[in-house]
Amino acid sequence: MESLFNEAFIGLSLASILLMVALGLAIIYGTMGVINLAHGQFVMLGAYGAWLLQTTFGLSLLVAIPVVFVVVALIGLGIERTIVHRLYRRPLDTILATWGIGIVIEQLVRAGFGSDSRYVARPAFLEDGFLFLGAYVSSYRLFIILFSLAMLAATWYLLFRTEFGTKLRAVIQNTEISRCYGISAKRVYALTFAYGAGLAAVAGALVTPLVSVTPTMGTSFVVDAFLVVIVGGVGSVLGSAASALMIGEASAWLSFLSSETTGRILILLGVIVLIRFRPQGLFPDTVRR
Amino acid sequence: MAALILEGLTVRFGGLVAVDGLDLHVRDGELRCLLGPNGAGKSTTLDLICGKTQPTSGRVLLGDRDITGLPEYQRARAGVGRKFQTPTVFRSLTVLENLEIGRSARPGVLDTLRVFRTPVRGRVQDVLEMVGLADAIHTRADNLSHGQTQWLEIAMLLMQDCKVILMDEPTAGMTVQETAQTAALFRQLRGDHTMIVVEHDMTFVRDIAETVTVMDMGSLLAEGSIREIESDPAVREAYLADTGDEAHA
Amino acid sequence: MNKGFTVDCIGYALFAAFVLLLMPWMVDFSGYELNSYARYLALGVVAAAVALSWGTAGILNLGQALTFGIGSYVMAMHLKLKASASQPGGMPDFMVWTNVESLPWFWEPFRSLPLTLAAGVLVPVIVAGLLGMFMFRGRITGVFVAIITLSLMLAVQLWIINEQGWTGGENGITSLAPLELFGWSVDTYSLPFYYLAAGCLLAVLALGLVLIRSKAGLVLRAIKDDAARVRFFGYDVARYETIVFSASAAMAGVAGMLYCLVLEFASPTYMGLSLSLAMVIWAAVGGRESIVAAALGGIGVNMAEGRLSDLFFDQWTLMLGVIFIAVVLFLPRGLYGLLDGAREMLSARTGAVRENAAGAGKVVPPTGVASEGKTD
Repeated sequence: MESLFNEAFIGLSLASILLMVALGLAIIYGTMGVINLAHGQFVMLGAYGAWLLQTTFGLSLLVAIPVVFVVVALIGLGIERTIVHRLYRRPLDTILATWGIGIVIEQLVRAGFGSDSRYVARPAFLEDGFLFLGAYVSSYRLFIILFSLAMLAATWYLLFRTEFGTKLRAVIQNTEISRCYGISAKRVYALTFAYGAGLAAVAGALVTPLVSVTPTMGTSFVVDAFLVVIVGGVGSVLGSAASALMIGEASAWLSFLSSETTGRILILLGVIVLIRFRPQGLFPDTVRR
Repeated sequence: MAALILEGLTVRFGGLVAVDGLDLHVRDGELRCLLGPNGAGKSTTLDLICGKTQPTSGRVLLGDRDITGLPEYQRARAGVGRKFQTPTVFRSLTVLENLEIGRSARPGVLDTLRVFRTPVRGRVQDVLEMVGLADAIHTRADNLSHGQTQWLEIAMLLMQDCKVILMDEPTAGMTVQETAQTAALFRQLRGDHTMIVVEHDMTFVRDIAETVTVMDMGSLLAEGSIREIESDPAVREAYLADTGDEAHA
Repeated sequence: MNKGFTVDCIGYALFAAFVLLLMPWMVDFSGYELNSYARYLALGVVAAAVALSWGTAGILNLGQALTFGIGSYVMAMHLKLKASASQPGGMPDFMVWTNVESLPWFWEPFRSLPLTLAAGVLVPVIVAGLLGMFMFRGRITGVFVAIITLSLMLAVQLWIINEQGWTGGENGITSLAPLELFGWSVDTYSLPFYYLAAGCLLAVLALGLVLIRSKAGLVLRAIKDDAARVRFFGYDVARYETIVFSASAAMAGVAGMLYCLVLEFASPTYMGLSLSLAMVIWAAVGGRESIVAAALGGIGVNMAEGRLSDLFFDQWTLMLGVIFIAVVLFLPRGLYGLLDGAREMLSARTGAVRENAAGAGKVVPPTGVASEGKTD
């Protein structure tokens, strides 16, 4: 019983990290048809931001989160305005261009901070854990789960309950007509991309206490997050959440039952079969187009 | 002998019954016009015949062969050709290359791996002249005018040489002169090919039609010669109710 | 189709002259340099493989490194067995270390060279054929093909790393014996080996060009334009897609075998995400519409990397990223697109003159004016 709960909990925390990375990716893909392979590098930038703020200014991780959100969102805005905006609705080309962007970011970080692994301490009050139903629950993992749920709620609110969200959905459905109503598609897209980049950075900052921070850490995130987006259904926020939960839990359970590698292999094969039979994703957003 | 028979053809999209128990007999070599107000299920009927859409129930017979369950390419091989409402040609290929795709009597990979040239004579030359594209064989299809694109698609269907040709508004977007040319071409094709033509342009229909079938709300409303159809009160009512006095344009 | 054929022949001849004459002469026939150049040629083959499926049929295979890696492992298994002949039971050293008791059954065929060479092409073809049928029968296209191919590659890579006793794991298969072809112990630092690689490249490209220039290639280009429309003309689109996908896998298999010979080991990094995306980059730089241009892209980028990475170290990777962004943004058709654009402008100018002479476009020319050709 304890181990069952333990696995479920670990799965949940894996899922919440995946969700935060995937959320930005899903919004960007859903709105402008851009597959952003540099998204993993945004995660990495967020992680480095947290590390930098902690080592140079002694700032707590919690303070670092809003800072990296803003900084990386601005970086994302710059990238969108210079490169990505030329590639809307050409997903295969964006795969290539954003992979190039990712290489550049990674090399710049390597040049600036070297290739060594960096570590970030978790906030002191989240240091410990407690026993729940006989299983050990790490406070920090619980914090990540709650935080990601909050971000999911905030994103949902932004998309469906604010004027910006209404404009965004209008632009997605018909750019031409939205323009007639005075909505600037350009501005909406740029802000969306920036928001997605910011989300990735927050995810990156949040994972720093759990993994070591290296220039190459982004790649592993982007592949998994991308699988989450495709499985969830393009452009569907809640679909991404559900599929992140599925994939996170599945990897926790499969690695518990066999080994971590076998678990990953099985998930990859499962995703292949899923895409083959439901390319629209498990929870397609029927409103789109 | 019937070239094409539809038996109780029905298709539902969710709650909507787009085609409802449609029966249709088309004789060999006949030119059949399919009329009806918007949303009557004409294009969907063509989709069901060529395999773009699978019926919920009912059968499609080509000659005496049941083709209901076959995928599109096998129906095409069995002899069904389709012209789409918006002209659909291969825009990055030249006119000649488009015709070569249309020349699909032997569509297998092993066959096509052995073909390296398109002979610009015989049938190809005839078709090119028939549609007036003989001086544009190396033009990319995306550089053609709208009318020429329509002609190119018709030319591809002629190369395909199928038993039954389904035409969805072949004169859409054509000038009056081009429409007249198309009518002339169709009269020429009649007899060798069985054709089902969906059309809104009544002048054009009067020009070419033998038998006219009128559909409304997914099922058959009336069938007969153009004169019978035009004096049929049920047809008048359907048109007046849905689209105004279009039938008397 | 006839016009493109001439252009192809000229391009191919120039390319052959470049590979066979100019490149060896550029390095003074030095064995060390020729070894590196043979490596570039192998990577040129795989770039052409990417272009074959991507440029012709619009199938972007992000897992091209999978079939490339399979080719290299097939070759490495043969050479490893040869190197381990003196060991007890002929077992490779890494199997002994991981306590594998007897040689796994799937290693057995690789004792034979002919079987190995056949497997280097056929195993990739079978893998791609099965995957192709699986995907294309379900009408999977575009991004989804990219994701499926990528995922399968990562899954296989993980499996290889995991099954250390059977595959050599993370380290790959190392300390290989030299290949023996017809009694010739292949010295990879020699001119004959360079010509072996060049011969493979040219042969593979010639076969690829035949495929592209045949009507099958035309059907593939039509599929890239509008797959649904092709079906209504009676072509089995899924079969065409599967075949070009497999042909591309065969090319990648050949490239992998060559690559293993040059580097003298096989490693799971050959199936990695970075290499796989790099292959796509090479094809994009050269121009995905032409397999010869893509091969040149593969050779050129790697040659530049060989030269420049000594000068700039890490900065080379940065430059590669920038080049990639620039190509996608400003040269989506690659270097080939530049040439083709220039050619089209020229022919448009001469064509316009001809059209003016012919008068109004509506006039139908007499029969037999246009180029005549033969069919079989």
